[in-house]
Amino acid sequence: MGAIVLGLPEARRNEAAALFRSRGVPHRRVEEWKYSDLKSALGEVGVGAKVAAWQTSELPAGVEMFDLSQANPPDWVRAHFAQPSQNVMSAASLALSAGGVALRVLKGAIVTELLKLDFTQHGHVRGLLVLEEGASITLVEGVGIAEFRNVGFEIVLGENAALDHVRVSPNAGDGVLVEEVVVQVAAGARYRAHFASFGSKLSRLELEIALHGEGAEAHLSGVSVLDGKRHSDVTTHVIHRHGNTGSTQLFKHVAGGQGRAVYQGKVTVAKGANGSDSNQSAKALLLGENAEADLKPELEIFADDVKCAHGAAVGDLDAESLFYLRARGIPEAEARGLLLHAFLEDAVAEIVNTDQRELVRTELLTALKAVA
Amino acid sequence: MLEIKNLHVAVGNKEILKGLTLSIKAGEVHAIMGPNGSGKSTLSYILAGRAGYEITEGSVTYNGEDLVALAPEDRAAKGVFLAMQYPVEIPGVTTMTFLKTALNSQRRKRGEPDLDAIGVLKLVRAKAKTLNVSEEMLKRALNVGFSGGEKKRLEILQMAIFEPKLAILDETDSGLDIDALKLVAEGVNALRGPERAMLVITHYQRLLDYIVPDRIHVLAGGRIVVEGGKELALELEAKGYEHIVKEPA
Repeated sequence: MGAIVLGLPEARRNEAAALFRSRGVPHRRVEEWKYSDLKSALGEVGVGAKVAAWQTSELPAGVEMFDLSQANPPDWVRAHFAQPSQNVMSAASLALSAGGVALRVLKGAIVTELLKLDFTQHGHVRGLLVLEEGASITLVEGVGIAEFRNVGFEIVLGENAALDHVRVSPNAGDGVLVEEVVVQVAAGARYRAHFASFGSKLSRLELEIALHGEGAEAHLSGVSVLDGKRHSDVTTHVIHRHGNTGSTQLFKHVAGGQGRAVYQGKVTVAKGANGSDSNQSAKALLLGENAEADLKPELEIFADDVKCAHGAAVGDLDAESLFYLRARGIPEAEARGLLLHAFLEDAVAEIVNTDQRELVRTELLTALKAVA
Repeated sequence: MLEIKNLHVAVGNKEILKGLTLSIKAGEVHAIMGPNGSGKSTLSYILAGRAGYEITEGSVTYNGEDLVALAPEDRAAKGVFLAMQYPVEIPGVTTMTFLKTALNSQRRKRGEPDLDAIGVLKLVRAKAKTLNVSEEMLKRALNVGFSGGEKKRLEILQMAIFEPKLAILDETDSGLDIDALKLVAEGVNALRGPERAMLVITHYQRLLDYIVPDRIHVLAGGRIVVEGGKELALELEAKGYEHIVKEPA
C-alpha cells in the first residue's frame, strides 16, 4: 500500500484495507460475481497497487475541483469522501489508491456546459462528485483503455439537484475494467444515467443508488453491443429509502460471437418507503449460438403500497420483421442492422443531451455493423 | 410476366400447394379466391420469398427469370411487391426512415441514383395525401399503434411509392370498413396500367366490386379448381365456395 497522502481519516482507509484483505478479489463463487469472474480475468496480474490517472475538461463556471492526492482537503470533500461501504472493490480502490479527483457543483448553479471526466491508465483511482442543493449539470465520463483499472466513484446529489451522467465504455479489448459508483440522492433530486458499453475481457459497472428523500428519482438506461469475446456487466442496486421516490431502469444488449452481456438489477424498497414506484426492464438479443446474456432483475420490498415492475427477455432478431424489410428491398445485412438499431433505440432515446445521444448512436451503428 | 407451372409447396411435411398453374400477363389484374386454408397466403409468401416453404415440384418464372432463386430484396428491386395480410410492427424505425431506406435500396439495386431526403419527402407526401396517410403517421414507428385500416393503407402507400411491376395483394380487404376499402381500391386502381400486373388474393367478393379483375381463379385444396371472368365472383358470393369447389372434382 502506498503512503497515505489523502489527509483523510486514516481509519476509513484502514477499514477498507481490512475489508479487502478479508474478502480478496471477487470470483465466480461469490454470488454477485457469478457472471464476472474477476479473479480469473486478472490471473497472475492481480489488482496491484498502482494509481490510475484522471483528467477533466476545462471546468465550467460554478464547478470546483480538488486533487485527492493533495493534502488538506476542503470541508466539502471531508464531508462526503469515502463514506463507509461494504463493496469490496470500492474498498480496494480506497485502500490502494492515493489519487483521484473531487468535483463540486456549487449551490444553485445551473451548468449547461458539459463536464468531462476521463479515467485513464492502469491501477486504482477515486472520484467524488458533489452537486449542492439545486445544482444541475451533465457529466460525460470517459473510460480509457487499460490492462486493468478499478474506479471507486462517489456521487452526492443535494436537495433538488439534477445530474445527467453519460458514460461510454469503448471496446477495451483484453482490458479488465471495473467501476463502482455510489450515488446518494436527496429529496427532490434526480439522477439520470446512460451507459453505452462495447465490452472488454471483463467490464463491470456497479451502481448503488440510494433515494433518501421525498421525490428523489433515479433513471438508468444502458446499451451494450458485444462482439468476439467481449463481456459487459452492469450490476445495479437501487434502494428506495424514503417514500414517494421513483426509479426506472431500461437496459438493452446485443451480443454476437462469444459476447456475454450481464445485467443484475436489484431494487430494494425499505420499510416505510411507501408510495415508491420502480420499473426495471432488461432485454438482450443474441446473434450467435455462443453469445450469452444473463439478466437478473430482482425485487426486495419491505414497504406497502408500492408499484414495482420488472422484466427480462432474451431472444433473437424477429424473423418476420427481417422478412418484411427484405421484401421491401432492403438487403439482409442492412435490414439486420436497422432492426438491431431499432431494438436499442428506446434506451438511447433516454439520453437528454442531443450531442451525446448522436455520439452514442454513431458508435452503436459502427459496432452493430461489425456484430451483425 | 408471371408463369407458375405445376407448383407444389410444402411446409414441413405438409403439402399446401398441390400443382398450381397460373399465368399473368402485363396489364392484367387477376384475383385468387378461396376458402380458408386453401393455400392463398402460401402462394403470396412463395412469390415474395419468405423462408420456411419448400418447393417440391414445379416452377415460378417472372419475366423469364426463375423467381424463387432470388432473395426477397432482389425480387423487390425487380418489381415484385407483396402487400401483406399482417404488416409487421417495427418499433424504433420511423415509417419515413423505412420508406426512404427501402426506396433507395431498390433504386441502388437497379443501378439508379439515390433519391435525396427532400426528393423522398416530396414523393411520399404526394402519394400519402391521396391515400389519406397523415404526416403524423409517417413520423411514427412503422405500423406501431396503427389501426388495421392504417396498416393496410400504408401497404398501398408503399405500393404507390415503389411502383412495382407485379403487385400481389394478400387479403388487403380484411379488417377494412367500407370507406377504407374504397380508398384502398382507388389506390390500387390508380396503379393499373399496361406495364403492370396485379394478383389480388381475397376471401370475399366484396373487394372485387371495387377492383374489377380480368380473371378469377378459385383456389381450393392447393390447386386452382375453377377459373373464369369477373362474373365468377358473383356466382361464388351467391352459391358459396362449397358448391363451386365440389363441382369440377
